[in-house]
Amino acid sequence: MSYIRFENISKSFGKNEVLKNIDLEVEKGQLVTLLGPSGCGKSTLLRCLSGLETVTSGKVYLDGKDITNVNPKDRDIGMVFQQYSLFPNMDVAQNVAFGLKLKKVPKEEITKRVEEMVDIVGLSDHLHHYPAQMSGGQQQRAALARAMVTHPKVLLLDEPLSAIDALLRHSLQVEIRRIQKEMDITAIFVTHDQDEAMVMSDVIHLMYKGKIEQSAAPTQMYTQPISKFAATFIGHYNIMPMEDFQKLTGKQADAKDVAFRPEIVEISTQPIEKEGYLTMKGRVFVSLPHGNVLRYAVLCGDKQVDVDVLFKKATLIENNTDVYLSFKEDDCIFL
Amino acid sequence: MKKKSAGSIAVMLLVMIYLLIPLVISIIYSLFKKWTGILPEGFSIGNYASLFSDPNFLASVGRSVGMCIVPILLTIVIVLLALFVTTIYFPKLEKYVQIICMIPYTIQGVILSVSILSLYVGNKSVLSNRMVMLMGAYCIVILPYIYQGIRNGMRAVNMVTLIEAAEMLGASKIYAFFRVVVPNIISAIIVSSLLAVGIIFGDYVLIRNLAGTSAPNMQIFLYQTMKSDSTKASAVFVIIMFVTFVITAVVLFLKSREGKNRVQKK
Repeated sequence: MSYIRFENISKSFGKNEVLKNIDLEVEKGQLVTLLGPSGCGKSTLLRCLSGLETVTSGKVYLDGKDITNVNPKDRDIGMVFQQYSLFPNMDVAQNVAFGLKLKKVPKEEITKRVEEMVDIVGLSDHLHHYPAQMSGGQQQRAALARAMVTHPKVLLLDEPLSAIDALLRHSLQVEIRRIQKEMDITAIFVTHDQDEAMVMSDVIHLMYKGKIEQSAAPTQMYTQPISKFAATFIGHYNIMPMEDFQKLTGKQADAKDVAFRPEIVEISTQPIEKEGYLTMKGRVFVSLPHGNVLRYAVLCGDKQVDVDVLFKKATLIENNTDVYLSFKEDDCIFL
Repeated sequence: MKKKSAGSIAVMLLVMIYLLIPLVISIIYSLFKKWTGILPEGFSIGNYASLFSDPNFLASVGRSVGMCIVPILLTIVIVLLALFVTTIYFPKLEKYVQIICMIPYTIQGVILSVSILSLYVGNKSVLSNRMVMLMGAYCIVILPYIYQGIRNGMRAVNMVTLIEAAEMLGASKIYAFFRVVVPNIISAIIVSSLLAVGIIFGDYVLIRNLAGTSAPNMQIFLYQTMKSDSTKASAVFVIIMFVTFVITAVVLFLKSREGKNRVQKK
C-alpha cells in the first residue's frame, strides 16, 4: 500500500473548483514533484495534505491512516514555504528548536539535534543569526532544517526555490535532493519550473486545470508526453496540426497533432535522405543562442519549427537560408 | 551645507526652549514660596515634602498609574484576541471590527461619560462601581489608538504564513499567535500603549464626571490644589510630568533591550 494516498480529492473555493477528483499515490522515500502552471491546483493539493486547507470531498491517507480531518499540528508533516516563513524574533537555533520544544524533547537532545541539523544544511556558522541577517538562500536552508529536525513523516516543499536567484537555486536543488536521500525522507515538491522538476524528482505529477495530466518518471515524462499540454509544458516540443504535418512531410497518421522535440531535428542546407526519416523544407528566419545550444527558428510553410543544435561555429547557418529538416519518424509523438 | 546645519540646530534649539520653558518655569515655581517680582523668593522643597507625606496625594498617584496600566493591558489583550480571530477565522468581519474600533474617535468625553453613567449607575453589580466605570471608559477612549497601532504592526509581518509555519511544527493557532506573531509586533504594541498613556494622563473630563472626587487621581488632586496653593499645584504638575516620563522611559527601555539582544547576538 502506498505511503501517501489522495483518494478522489476535490476542493472548491466558492464556485471555483480548484481540484477535481484527484487520485494520487506516493511511495515511501520518494521525492515526488507536483508540476504545473500557476493556478493549476498544485499548491492547494499540497496544502490539503498538510491540513492547512480542508478538502471539499475525498480522503487523504498517510502511512495507512486517514488524516483527512486531522489537525495540521498533529499530522507530523514538515513544510517549507516559498517565503521561508522563519520566525523573525528567533535566531536560527531557536527557529530550528521550535518544533522540538513543542514535542517536549529534553533540552540536551534539542541542542544536539539542532546542531546536527544545522550542520547538515551547512549553516553552522549562522547558528545565532536572525533571519534578517541572512541571505535568501541561507534562510531557506534554515527553513529546511527547521522542517526536517523533527523527523516528520513527510516533507512538503511549496515552491521553496522560486524566490532565489538562478545560480543559488541550482545548488540548492542538488542540496535538497542530497539531504532528502541522506535522511531517506518522503518529500513532495511543488514547482512550476520543469527543469527543477526534472533535476529533483523520482516521479513527476504534471497538473493542469485541477487534474493530474500525466504521472511519470522525469525521462519518460520528457520523451513520452501523452497530451498536447504535457508536450508544451515539458521540454520545448514543436507541435503541429496533423494536416500541416502531412502537407510538409507526406506522412499520414490517425492523430490530431504531432509533437517532436527541437533536439531530434537535424538541419542541413543539403537534402538529407535517410531510411526511416521524415524531411521537410524551410527557411531559417532567426537563430538564438541558449547557452551551449543554438536554436534555429525555421519557417516551414507558415509553421514555425524550432531546431536545437550544439553551438559550434562551424555549423552556423545564416538567416534566410533555405534548409532541410529531417528527423526519425519514431521520435515523433502523434497525439 | 555647514550653514544649513547650523540653521537647523538653531531652529531645533528654539523649539526645545519653547517646549521646555513651561516645564522649567513650573519646576522653579514649585521650588519657591512666592514669585511676584522678577525673581522668585524663598527657596523651599516644602511643597514636595508635604506632597510626599500626604497619603491622599500618594493614593492619587497610585490610582493614576493603576487606572492607566489596567485599561491599556485590558484593551491590548482584547484587540489582540479580536484581531487573531478575525484574521485567522473570519477575515470578512475585519472591516466591521475596524469600524467598531474607530467609533470612539468621534465620541466626545462628556457624551461618553454621561452615557456610561446613565447606563450603569442604577446597576446593582460591580459595573456600577465608579472605578470600574472609569476604567471601562478609558478602554473605549484608547481603543482606536491601540487597534490602529496593532493592526499596522500585524500588516508588517506575514501573520497567516507565520502561524501556518508554526502549526506545521506542532503549535496550536493561539500558541503560534502569542509565541510567534505577538513578539514580532511588540514595537507596535509599545508605541500605541505610549499614546494611550498620554491620552489617559491628559484626561480630566472622564474622571471628573465618572469618578468625581470620591476617588481622586492626580489630575483631580491637581485641580483641587490649584484652588488653594498655586506653587504646590506646580509641584503636583511636575510630579505628574515625572511619573509620565518614568512610565515612558521604562517602556522604551524594555523595547530597546529587546532590540539590543537581537543585535548583540549577531
